[in-house]
Amino acid sequence: MSTAAAEHAPGPGSADGIAARARGLTKAYGSGETTVLALDSVDVDIARGRFTAVMGPSGSGKSTLMHCLAGLDNVSAGQVWLGDTEITGLKDRELTRLRRDRIGFMFQSFNLIPTLNAAENITLPMDIAGKKPDDKWLDQVIDTLGLRDRLEHRPSQLSGGQQQRVACARALASRPELIFADEPTGNLDSRAGLEVLGFLREAVDQLGQTVVMVTHDPGAAAHSDLVLFLGDGRIVDEMERPTAEAVLERMRLFTGGNPQTPGFDVIRSQFGDGEPTSPEER
Amino acid sequence: MLKATLRSFLAHKGRLLLSALAVILSVAFVAGSLIFSDTVSRTFDRLFASTAADVTVTPKETLDETVPSGQTLTLPASLADRLARAQGVAAARAEVDVEGLTVADKDRESVGPTTGAPTIGTAWNPTERSGVELTSGHAPKGDSQVLVDADTADSKDVRIGDRLTVIGQEGSFPVEVVGIVTFTTTNPGAALVFFDPATAQTRLLGDPKAATGISVDAAEGVSDTELKRRVADALGTDAGTYELRTAEEQAESDAEQLGGFLDIIKYVMLGFAGVAVLVGVFLIVNTFSMLIAQRTRELGLLRALGADRRQVRRSVLTEALLLGLVGSTAGLAAGIGLAVGLIELMGLMGMNIRTTEMVIGWGTPVTAYVVGLGVTFVAAYLPARRAAGVSPMAALADAEIAEIGRPLRLRAVLGSVVGAAGAAALVGCAVSSKTSAAASLLGLGVLLTLIATVIAGPLLVRPVIRVLGGAFPALFGSIGRMSQRNALRNPRRTGATAAALMVGLALVGGMSVASASMTKSFDQQIDKTLGADFVVQNGNFVPFPQEITDKIRDTEGVGLVVRSQFTTIAVRLPDGDRVKTTAAGYEPELDKVANITYAQGDSAAALADGRLAMDKDFAEDHGVRVGSTLPVEFQGDRRAELTVGALTDQESAEGFGAQGGIYFGLGTLQRYAPGGQDAAVYVNAASGTGADDLRGNLEETLDPYPQVQVRDIADYKQLVHDQIAVLLYLVYALLGLAIIIAVLGVVNTLALSVVERTREIGLLRAIGLARRQLRRMIRLESVVIAVFGAVLGLALGLVWGVCTQQVLALQGMTALAIPWGTIVAVVIGSAVVGIVAALLPALRASRMNVLAAIAHE
Repeated sequence: MSTAAAEHAPGPGSADGIAARARGLTKAYGSGETTVLALDSVDVDIARGRFTAVMGPSGSGKSTLMHCLAGLDNVSAGQVWLGDTEITGLKDRELTRLRRDRIGFMFQSFNLIPTLNAAENITLPMDIAGKKPDDKWLDQVIDTLGLRDRLEHRPSQLSGGQQQRVACARALASRPELIFADEPTGNLDSRAGLEVLGFLREAVDQLGQTVVMVTHDPGAAAHSDLVLFLGDGRIVDEMERPTAEAVLERMRLFTGGNPQTPGFDVIRSQFGDGEPTSPEER
Repeated sequence: MLKATLRSFLAHKGRLLLSALAVILSVAFVAGSLIFSDTVSRTFDRLFASTAADVTVTPKETLDETVPSGQTLTLPASLADRLARAQGVAAARAEVDVEGLTVADKDRESVGPTTGAPTIGTAWNPTERSGVELTSGHAPKGDSQVLVDADTADSKDVRIGDRLTVIGQEGSFPVEVVGIVTFTTTNPGAALVFFDPATAQTRLLGDPKAATGISVDAAEGVSDTELKRRVADALGTDAGTYELRTAEEQAESDAEQLGGFLDIIKYVMLGFAGVAVLVGVFLIVNTFSMLIAQRTRELGLLRALGADRRQVRRSVLTEALLLGLVGSTAGLAAGIGLAVGLIELMGLMGMNIRTTEMVIGWGTPVTAYVVGLGVTFVAAYLPARRAAGVSPMAALADAEIAEIGRPLRLRAVLGSVVGAAGAAALVGCAVSSKTSAAASLLGLGVLLTLIATVIAGPLLVRPVIRVLGGAFPALFGSIGRMSQRNALRNPRRTGATAAALMVGLALVGGMSVASASMTKSFDQQIDKTLGADFVVQNGNFVPFPQEITDKIRDTEGVGLVVRSQFTTIAVRLPDGDRVKTTAAGYEPELDKVANITYAQGDSAAALADGRLAMDKDFAEDHGVRVGSTLPVEFQGDRRAELTVGALTDQESAEGFGAQGGIYFGLGTLQRYAPGGQDAAVYVNAASGTGADDLRGNLEETLDPYPQVQVRDIADYKQLVHDQIAVLLYLVYALLGLAIIIAVLGVVNTLALSVVERTREIGLLRAIGLARRQLRRMIRLESVVIAVFGAVLGLALGLVWGVCTQQVLALQGMTALAIPWGTIVAVVIGSAVVGIVAALLPALRASRMNVLAAIAHE
């Protein structure tokens, strides 16, 4: 069962330097007159070995794009490839295996299984697959993320930042082709957020991983190599080597052009602690 | 507030469904048993009232029989003529009714009911009160014609013209079926055979001048009570030896005789209801606890908005009452269905009650609603109090953590106190030497230890499940680890869920130890005391006619035959007690077929004319010694003075309701209780005849007599095992019900856990847990909860069983046997129960949409 993953393992052998690709990717919700297009014929290439950020205002379809690329959601039209594998049209069982063996995930919150300790959480995808983790790599990941003395702790005994680091370690542990991070800093204070972003950066630069991060925090996006801007279900712009100011500037355009979306969440985002729906957590 | 309650009730109706099922089951069993017994007693009351003569005269039965002696009490048939001439009497008829008849068809099979109900031979005196009418053929004439009832004819395929053999106390004789009678009222389940009256007297009673009773009809304008008085006057000084009953009294007396059987059914049903209620309470407590845990935020919000504690509590209790109301109503309906089913079942057993005549007294719905509402109210009270305790701040807190966080200290203290009291009672029971005291201590101990285990269950969850699920991580990797830890996650919930299963299995554990011990004890006693090559007797211990014994004696290869009979006696003891008991009579060669240990005297002294033997301990308790002369009262007011010839020292002298273990010579018995039939005949082979040969010969001899069988010691043990097994089947049926409800509980818990862990499940699925693996995880959790319940229950049951055996040991059943096979089977069975219970929740979890699950609040 692991042969497919082995064939597509990242490294110099990979064909064209593209980790994931979508063509004409369309996702519609509802039917008839009430149809809402979350993604409208999106074409996108995710470059291997780079840190890509996906930005956009609420409802722009950035999370949907990630879900479709990661095989979490089915598409209405278009095609999606992970490496050389077309994932559109795969059955649940194949998609599950693909996620397990070839993709790493980080979510905004609730990333860890509360009944398992940190070490067990980190190796969980491999345990599920019935594979032995690569101990040398695992040690490197654990040390890079500074989790050595936290391995026996249960999630409830860890701080939010530590929890996200464990989630990051889990995403890295199986050396997936692609890591998807959905607002990974959304629930963290700015210092812990910076730490996590640093680790993701390090994973790309030093460990050669490919990372796609969905965020609406310009500060977070500034850590990436490339920012894709989504608006109304389309990729409207992209920015190489972004800075927080440039991203924020670009985002202002959105709010100007889309009066229905107030600039609320963007302004919030300036403070680097994201989640506009839970202001009390600040 | 009421509106919020109603909304909440409707919103959670899926989850309340399982609790409602528990209520429905309890109520259905209560209502079903009430409706059934009401219907049956009404039907029979009507039957007996319509078939009883205005006044019935029967020989007085001075001692109630608990063990049948085979005696048929008679009175002179001429009494009918005497009474017919009395004032106010329109007519008087001599009746013959003989129970315990066997009628065999040409294949030598009994045409009687297979249920153990009797075959009754009756003189054909058709009146409007006979309860039957001749529907084909003609009335029997002469000594070889009979009528058979239509139900028997149908079920045993008997037709007019068939030749049957009637086997009665006075010998067997061939007859021809000349007619079929049909019941005009309810058939109580017996087989009826009607004879020409003269034939009934000569052939069944062996005396053309005898009858078993006189039916007296009143003249115009004479009331039954008045008639009874006049009949008594006509009988004059003889009145004391007869029983006189008016139609009403007769109906009551008949109903009373049947009542015992109906009471058994009623109590069995109420037992089921009890188990359903007991286990149902756990289910309801658990459901409400979980609903409240889930709704902590909502309740906190209500409190924050200004609802006071009383309002919150009342809201939860109102919800419970709604559940109880719905459950009771559905349960009542289910109970009617159950009663119909039971009535149909009785029909299959030959008791034809019409379901259209079903009686639903006002007491039934009242009881149903009281039980249903009461159970839910009681079960929801604690969770409701807890709900009321939710602080307004809980609106912001994490529900599950709040639930787990509450310490179990109170449970620990309460559990150990009650448990210690229970253990003390059980120890007291084990060391007690008085049966009655030991039995009460046993009951108390069982109750207290059960309560203690239920209270302390959540405390035992961690240590026990760590062991039970210890191998899971090694066997099933992360999936095993997560399922084990999920089961440990909320000990309170796991404990309460397992408790439902525990109760049922503790019962089974205890009963199976007790019955295995009884079986083993009986085996040992049979090995020790039974010395005969073969025993001939009826499988239901019903006595059989002399003719069979005579045939056995004449069988080739038979060396020695020892007869035994039972009779009911009342003994006046030196300490003033009058003890009514069953005594046995044996032929003098008893020692050759049985090994009896005597404390004093021997079989010769015990069986000599005018002597008796009794158990040493019983004798000591009542101040009896060898040589004491005791006044003994026999059936029909016959009195004797018997001298104690020997005292026995047997382990189980007092089995089968025979208090005192009294026996005497068969000659003595027959002198004072004539007309009895043999209960068992012990046979030894003649020298030179092999056991197999003798068995073959005996079977050939007994072939025409379907009521008796030849048994060697092994067969005899089997017969005893089968009798004990009947008890076990009942327990297994109870277990079945308990398990059904326990499964509902496990389903309930898992379903709610799955909902609570939606996000976790979504995450697991996102990072690559396959649906199959997810289902396995939930299944394993379910299995570990179920096995936990089984282990707890069986451990408790084993302790109960061992203590029960200690009580039985006082009755001479000294062997202890633990049925390990059954216990292992129950543990495996509980794992299967876990798998079954997990089916739906696992399916539901695996069908969850991953994205929706991750986003779930």
